[in-house]
Amino acid sequence: MADTPKTKKSKNLNRTPEQKQKQPTSPPDHLIVPSTPNSSLRRSIRLTATATPPPPSSLQKSPHSTAKPPRNYQNAPKSPSFTISISPTSPEPTESKKRRKNTENQDMDLEKKRILRSAKANAIKSKKRMYYKKVVFDGVEFSAGDDVYVKRREDASSDEEDPEVEECRVCFKPSGRRIMIECDDCLNGFHLKCLRPPLKDVPEGDWICNFCTARKSGAMVKFPEPPNGKRLRTAREKLLSSDLWAAHIESLWKEADGTYWFRARWYIIPEETSSGRQPHNLRRELYQTNDFADVEMESIIRHCYVMNPKEFAKAGNEGDDVFLCEYEYDIRWRSFKRIAEIDNNDEDGEEADGDEDWNSCEGSDPDTEDNIEYEEENKRSTLTGPSSAHPMAANSRKGRIFGLQKIGAKKIPEHVRCHKQTALEKAKATLLLATLPKSLPCRDKEMDEITAFIKGAICDDQCLGRCLYIHGVPGTGKTMSFLSVMRNLRSEVDAGSIQPYCFVEINGLKLASPENIYTVIYEALSGHRVGWKKALYSLNERFSNETKCRKEEIRPCILLIDELDLLVTRNQSVLYNILDWPNKPNSKLIVIGIANTMDLPEKLLPRISSRMGIQRLCFGPYNYLQLQEIILSRLRGIDAFEKQAIEFASRKVAAVSGDARRALEICRRAAELADYRCKRLPSLSNSAATGKVLVGMADVEVAIKEMFQAPHIQVIRSSSKLSKIFLAAMVHELYKTGMGETTFEKLAMTVSCFCTSNGETFPGYDILLKVGCKLGECRILLCEPAAKHKLQKLQLNFPSDDVIFALKDSEELPWLAKYL
Amino acid sequence: MSAATVSSSPKITEKMARESPAEQAQVLVKSRICNPNFIFSIFSNPPDSNYSKLKYIISSSLTEACNNSVLLLGPRGCGKVAILELVLEDLLEEYPDMISVIKLNGLLHCDHNCALKEISRQLCQEHQLLFSKMASFDDNAQFMVSMLRECGLAHKTIIFVLDEFDLFAQGKQLFLYSLLDAMQSVTSQAVVIGISCRLDADQLLEKRVRSRFSHRKLLFLPPSREDTERLLEHILLLPTNSSFPHEYVTAFNVKLLIFADYKFKEIVDTLSYSDSTVNHLQRFLFSTVSHMDLKSGLLSLENFKAALSTIQRQPKLEVLKDCSILELYILVCMKRLEAKEQELRNFNAIMKEYKSIHDTFQTSNYYARNVCLRAFEHLLQRELISFEDNRGHGQSAEFRPVKLLISRPELYQGLKSYPSCPVSSF
Repeated sequence: MADTPKTKKSKNLNRTPEQKQKQPTSPPDHLIVPSTPNSSLRRSIRLTATATPPPPSSLQKSPHSTAKPPRNYQNAPKSPSFTISISPTSPEPTESKKRRKNTENQDMDLEKKRILRSAKANAIKSKKRMYYKKVVFDGVEFSAGDDVYVKRREDASSDEEDPEVEECRVCFKPSGRRIMIECDDCLNGFHLKCLRPPLKDVPEGDWICNFCTARKSGAMVKFPEPPNGKRLRTAREKLLSSDLWAAHIESLWKEADGTYWFRARWYIIPEETSSGRQPHNLRRELYQTNDFADVEMESIIRHCYVMNPKEFAKAGNEGDDVFLCEYEYDIRWRSFKRIAEIDNNDEDGEEADGDEDWNSCEGSDPDTEDNIEYEEENKRSTLTGPSSAHPMAANSRKGRIFGLQKIGAKKIPEHVRCHKQTALEKAKATLLLATLPKSLPCRDKEMDEITAFIKGAICDDQCLGRCLYIHGVPGTGKTMSFLSVMRNLRSEVDAGSIQPYCFVEINGLKLASPENIYTVIYEALSGHRVGWKKALYSLNERFSNETKCRKEEIRPCILLIDELDLLVTRNQSVLYNILDWPNKPNSKLIVIGIANTMDLPEKLLPRISSRMGIQRLCFGPYNYLQLQEIILSRLRGIDAFEKQAIEFASRKVAAVSGDARRALEICRRAAELADYRCKRLPSLSNSAATGKVLVGMADVEVAIKEMFQAPHIQVIRSSSKLSKIFLAAMVHELYKTGMGETTFEKLAMTVSCFCTSNGETFPGYDILLKVGCKLGECRILLCEPAAKHKLQKLQLNFPSDDVIFALKDSEELPWLAKYL
Repeated sequence: MSAATVSSSPKITEKMARESPAEQAQVLVKSRICNPNFIFSIFSNPPDSNYSKLKYIISSSLTEACNNSVLLLGPRGCGKVAILELVLEDLLEEYPDMISVIKLNGLLHCDHNCALKEISRQLCQEHQLLFSKMASFDDNAQFMVSMLRECGLAHKTIIFVLDEFDLFAQGKQLFLYSLLDAMQSVTSQAVVIGISCRLDADQLLEKRVRSRFSHRKLLFLPPSREDTERLLEHILLLPTNSSFPHEYVTAFNVKLLIFADYKFKEIVDTLSYSDSTVNHLQRFLFSTVSHMDLKSGLLSLENFKAALSTIQRQPKLEVLKDCSILELYILVCMKRLEAKEQELRNFNAIMKEYKSIHDTFQTSNYYARNVCLRAFEHLLQRELISFEDNRGHGQSAEFRPVKLLISRPELYQGLKSYPSCPVSSF
């Protein structure tokens, strides 16, 4: 089931250095803090900085020299890890460097850092295309994953000097040492002094220039004319007025004739989408499209930087060419979609999005290049033309890529971007079970233990019989702690302190049948999907037969099985097989089982419990202090809860189950109730406007009641008269006979007695039977089917005290009290 | 309110309304009764109503892009589904193409395989994707997860409506687990709404599933006395600004002032004595309107009384009334055997008892054994008596032990209401 993300994750592990080569740092032009996306404070400042143009062409080298040029280091100040980075497919990257002279008499200097393909494929295909990870073209280094400006037309005045530095819109002098401020509406820059009245400091929040405010109020405004007649436009302005294109470099290659090409993924400005510029669009906003094109490197102008909102908010020194991209635009279906952030650790969204493409074409160990190209071709055809030739079902494995592209919003809903969250809404969002907390308090000891276990297991050469059984009641953070340990370890792998491993995560409750686990494991390890018998056979071979594969090729494999108890079959063979593998020499398998019951190993066959039960880790239920800390750590910085309210909720949950999910849900529900209260009731709206609504004890109380109390008392109270009499008669029978169970015949006698002695009409047996069945439907009673009629057996489903409590002071039937 | 009434009525043209106002009024009221959206629209205003609470829960998870799960509990016929439909209709209008609703019913899809397949089918239909029947459980589960993700990215919320929620909580609950676990990610945006008449529905969940369920509960209760009266007026009063002749509308509405009459109140009391749900009221009103006198075109107290008698029928008593004398004899014999606490009660024992009655009272009607057997079989078919157990299907009916399903007072009442019956023998 959820194995695609898993494979992705494990692949990410392998290609660790990918993130680091993002963001080639060209010398900063000027420091700009661009307008941040919604929700947070905006601050538009242009700080001064000496604007140095990109490295001049002094870097030209004599062609055909094979030595590694030293300027490579100054030009691309990469982390050293870059050079040892490994492409996902080739385990041993072949490094080769080549220089070529360009056909156009322009000194051009290219360097191949790595070859993506394996050596074999390279040898075959080198005549045709050479793929590079990085190309130095015209003195500037471009690598896959960069964003660039691209010329729009061939005849565009490319010779025209592009101003690298932005000028003040009033005095037409570059920023120099003085501070410039950027208008959030027209994006023009102004010196603080040139403004009227001049500003001393950069103001907090949005700032809009006088020209824009005047234009908005209806006046005709003319910007001052530039002194030399024609004002030069920056590349940014050209792009936003659709005279340039921006593109994302997906891959780079050299054609057979020696020209250099790249695969561009276009960006689009809001004006060019089907719905036009929407009111919530920011000035610097772009959309990523799913439109690809092969473009010659010639047409690249220079780098620009397209960022996701988080980075954009932080970006400081990337210059004027910074753009925000939060959404992907599907050109075929004309719909918008947020760009996924697959992994929190990943540096940026686009990269993560690109992952899918990488994986899909390279994940399955491509033998020949044709294979890849065919796949790419295939994908392209689904993008551009209606692929009516092979209509694929969306829910079957193969067609998924095709189907999911269709989904997207025709228009980005405004409330998503323009809505400012109140404290209560923020609290609700952080209390969601789905949001990953920044820190995991109260589980340090357990996490240390897990870390020690895994590290010990990985570093050990033999790693025989490594099994860990983790148990604890639901909601005590078993899986989450383990996954966070794995995240920490992954960063250690990135740093190079431990050897890489692969990690397979399986949830027992998501398997269609226990045997399916073999298929899932095998798919995660090898990428092929086969039937479970074949998978079992291959896995057995892999884990037991050490001679077949070279030792160093097998990485240690960590297998996490969540909800282990679901894998227990009648003869327990699945569990036995899985737990037996770690005992094989050189299997390098580490199994971690998670389940709720403490004594699961004891319930199993002795041969299994002897393999699993040795090392155990218990996650005890949280106590109230821990729960309180968990909630408080999530709510840090948000003033929405009264302190006692949190304590009350955590005490209550700790007394019942110690389930952190429950505690979070109670608090979220309480916040929801408070929010509802202040939104619905107009009297409170004034205090709501000031943001002074706190979640109090009363809200928590209501939430707890809703969660823990069965609503039967309310239902009994509001039920019809006859049902009340019926229930009273049930209680009466119970006390008279002392037996929990009674038959309808006896009960009907009691009811008719009640009715005749208290002046009610006895409605008849059939109606009474119907009433009884209705109560049975709500499970206030347990009853047999009505076909049994007078022999129907009845029993109260709730304690008789509850029923008495509910019926005692009934206004309609005051006489009921004397029978209770 | 008037706008709603006009829109809910089938096309009543002015001409039709003038020519036969009574018939058209009947049509209008009937169509109102059959339209749950109309009936429950009066419960949608106050802030503490289930309607606004539910709407708030769903719309806040829409706008705040979060996952939620709610249980709607309450006895049958209290409008759980109707109010949910109202809310969904409103939200679909408010947020067009941001919502896709997936509806499952526990009676149909309680098997996890079939539930996931149905989800995939409806998702495919909603998004005009091609659906394959052959996809496996794994494929469908993965499809659901990736659809949740994609829809979340496109700011679309998927609302899962699980009717008869308690039936999903059978077995290993794989389906509920995979659904609720898929919602534990930040990108997905989904609301699970379970509808059940079992009050302990959330207790049925397995502990792992329960821990992932958010335990929001909305309780639906039968309307109170005042609400019932409001509902009556809401349904029955004709709109004043409609195409009906003005005099007719006033006459119709004036006639309905019987609402205040104590006799009418008695009728409503008797009606809600056994069952006070909206559903019951609906059926009662429909029968009332069907009894309406088309000549006068007005609803009278007699109509309500007639409707009450039709709705409070006693099937067993009526079956007794339809029995022949011989069948009654057999029932009485059964009763006597029970009173004697005789162990074995089968047809032969009954025949013996029948003979003894005949001998002591010397009645004129004595029938042959095979006639009696036929009568005995009739009684079995009418479920007035039944076999003790399900074993011995091969045995002939005469020898299998039987039991009486109606009680003594019922039998006595039945015999009394029978015109030419020798009650004394009993």
